[in-house]
Amino acid sequence: MSHVVGIDLGTTNSLVAWVKNGVPEVIRDQSGDALVPSVVAIGEDGTVFVGREAQRRLLTTPSRTVYSVKRFMGRGIDDVRDEAALLPFGIGGEPGGVVRITVAGRELTPPEISAFVLKELKHRAEEFFREQGEFDFEVDRAVITVPAYFNDAQRTATRDAGRIAGLEVLRIINEPTAASLAYGLDKKNRGTIAVYDLGGGTFDISVLKVEDGVFQVLSTNGDTHLGGDDIDNLMIGLVLNEIVGRALSGAPGGPEGSAPQRLIQEIRKAVIQAKVDLSELDATEITVEPSSHLPQGYRRRITRAEFEALIAPFVERTLGPVRLALEDAGLEPRDIDEAVLVGGSTRIPLVRSKVAELFGRAPHTELNPDEVVALGAAVQADILISGRREMLLLDVTPLSLGIETMGGVTSKIIVRNSTIPASGREMFTTGVDNQTAVDVHVLQGERELAADCRSLAQFKLRGIPPMPAGLPRIEVQFQIDANGILSVAARELRTGIEQTIEVKPSYGLTEGEVERMLIESFEHAEADFAARLLIEARNDAETVILATEKSLRSPDLEGVARTDLKAGELDRIRTALADLKEVMSAADRELIHEKTHALNHATHHLAEVMMNRSVREALAGKNVTDV
Amino acid sequence: MSGHIPVRSDAALECRTCGAGAPVDEHFCPNCSRILALGRHGDYFAFLGLPRRLTITPQDLEQRFRDLSRKFHPDYYYNAPPAERLASLERSSYLNDAYRTLRNPVSRIEHLLAIEGLPSAKSGEGEGGKVPPALLEEVFALNEELDDIREQRESGADSASLSARLSKARQPIDRKREEHEKQLGELAARWDSQEQATAEERRATLEALRERLLERNYINNLLATIDREASSLQAADLR
Repeated sequence: MSHVVGIDLGTTNSLVAWVKNGVPEVIRDQSGDALVPSVVAIGEDGTVFVGREAQRRLLTTPSRTVYSVKRFMGRGIDDVRDEAALLPFGIGGEPGGVVRITVAGRELTPPEISAFVLKELKHRAEEFFREQGEFDFEVDRAVITVPAYFNDAQRTATRDAGRIAGLEVLRIINEPTAASLAYGLDKKNRGTIAVYDLGGGTFDISVLKVEDGVFQVLSTNGDTHLGGDDIDNLMIGLVLNEIVGRALSGAPGGPEGSAPQRLIQEIRKAVIQAKVDLSELDATEITVEPSSHLPQGYRRRITRAEFEALIAPFVERTLGPVRLALEDAGLEPRDIDEAVLVGGSTRIPLVRSKVAELFGRAPHTELNPDEVVALGAAVQADILISGRREMLLLDVTPLSLGIETMGGVTSKIIVRNSTIPASGREMFTTGVDNQTAVDVHVLQGERELAADCRSLAQFKLRGIPPMPAGLPRIEVQFQIDANGILSVAARELRTGIEQTIEVKPSYGLTEGEVERMLIESFEHAEADFAARLLIEARNDAETVILATEKSLRSPDLEGVARTDLKAGELDRIRTALADLKEVMSAADRELIHEKTHALNHATHHLAEVMMNRSVREALAGKNVTDV
Repeated sequence: MSGHIPVRSDAALECRTCGAGAPVDEHFCPNCSRILALGRHGDYFAFLGLPRRLTITPQDLEQRFRDLSRKFHPDYYYNAPPAERLASLERSSYLNDAYRTLRNPVSRIEHLLAIEGLPSAKSGEGEGGKVPPALLEEVFALNEELDDIREQRESGADSASLSARLSKARQPIDRKREEHEKQLGELAARWDSQEQATAEERRATLEALRERLLERNYINNLLATIDREASSLQAADLR
């Protein structure tokens, strides 16, 4: 039986988890790392790199690298023009259409880029199951999480990404709700819970009531454009301000490797490190190494107090949605029994103290805030597959759904915070005699005017039987499924004729486009597979190099060489090491493999000798202490 | 299990799995126990297994909602045949709507009126434009006062004293609203006690409920108008 997993597809990092004997756990790589940076880089030869490798390439080839793509899922060019200016990759697309990202000469949509990240997670999980000795290690189904405040277009884009990655998306669930599932596992608790989820790019607040294992979301609110990235940008702004005046070579948007983009990525790396440090320390340094575009380098001490003053308005911005969510749930802050923190940005002490202050109680932080969402997604995947009924998640739709009526006014059909699945009906008729089609414009949002709401889709009701104006009674049914995704059906009630509806998503891909991308992803799969093998060969080589260098630095080396090694053995090892290092940057996997093998072979005897010595020493040591 | 299930005369549903008939308020086929497709169901009380009474214990309603959610939710029909998956989606959606409607006392009355065949009393519908006779006096006084306050504000009068006048004008409306809430409660209790009463008596209670709802909507609109004027005064104060 193939496997199902839960995936947290994050702005900054992504993770995959599964349920083993009823207990969810995240799947780590060999070095114990659970996080896959949501970064995609395209090499000179068109191969695709994902994760840590892509993150390294962000510093060397920023214009061939894409990050934070989640911010562009299901959005149009008009929504993202401002932030596009800060990014190293080109953002384009038709006005009123889906965003297209130009990277390394390829034009890709956000779902296609997210699909690369999902494929990496799929691969990681498959490797894990294979190593467990499972015969069928394929991972073909997943529950994927999204911010609770994602609209229909953003959810659909996430589902499309899953399909392009070759995954059957069992369910799209909300991140804060997933987190509550992960927390609710070992305790049979009841009460009212607030989940405060501040991630890399998005902020969510969900208020839940838990009873008899039913996790019922009462309300949700948030901001899909508020997260740790914004803190990074504040700090980058601070640093840039201070080095302005010093000569910067190159211009924004310049050719590959031009100063500002590379410099900004260097600064980004430095401020992120400082931000992380300040969660533990009272002061730290922002350090940017000297480089051709910043010859003196940059060094600045920053205290936690300074940092907190800088980000205070940002943290305050998260509290607005919290208050609105409480209001919609009909609750006061003191009614909340438990507060739960989710997302890497909740490690910041100021965030923790503000949340504690608001609810008057210390929030839960027992589970790793980076991992808790993926764990919850795995639990939900397990519920769907196993049919276990101890727990049930009842989520809500974050935004009202409506249609445009006369005069450009929004008429709401399903109000926000309705439990999903939810359905709503609306009656339509014709305005002129013998009219056979009616245009319908579907909107999402809370504003009165259609122009202020999010356009989800436009469609035409066709095949209305010719009748005098006003006589046809066309019932349009809107159905929001358990994923929070909308579908539409229509029927003329007098004749019972089903209407044909062609929905044109405003900021999404058509069915045909998703199909084509799926086929293309198979076509690229071979090249991508080769790229992966290359990365793996390099990783293997790196491990052997590090181990060899460590042995060569050993203080005992001289003695060992004299007593236990053959003449010239050490030289042969040094030559093999140099040979391997020389081919490391080549794209020839076979060559790296061959040289790795040679070094392994050359050091085999040395490793054995060293091992024996340390065993002897350990035993000798034991004798002394034991007796 | 016997092969023959007698089809009841009031059967309105047909099981898509085994073809047996089922009463409209059943959720699962009495013959093969599969989830039934949702027919043209229009009664949230019956769907939740509740009598048509306006007094509902919130805990009881919640418990029914959770129990039925556990029976219908699409999570549990993931591997089921398409017909059952669709039925689960329809029943869950309907359940969510029923729970939301009955949880709120006012929408609960609106739903009762609708299933008892009375014209809609929702805001913005029916005779929303007409002043309810019971409110004529208050509305007349309020409109006059509001016009005067607006005029004074526009000519730049002291907004603090205008605010005080506005709060005073609000008082009779607030009182009227409280009175109405009380009357709605009394009428609801009367309806619940009238199960053995004649059709005429029951109809009279429903008509009265509807009247109160329309007045209530009108009062809420008046209060919204006062609030709008209050924020205009605040804005004028800031200038």
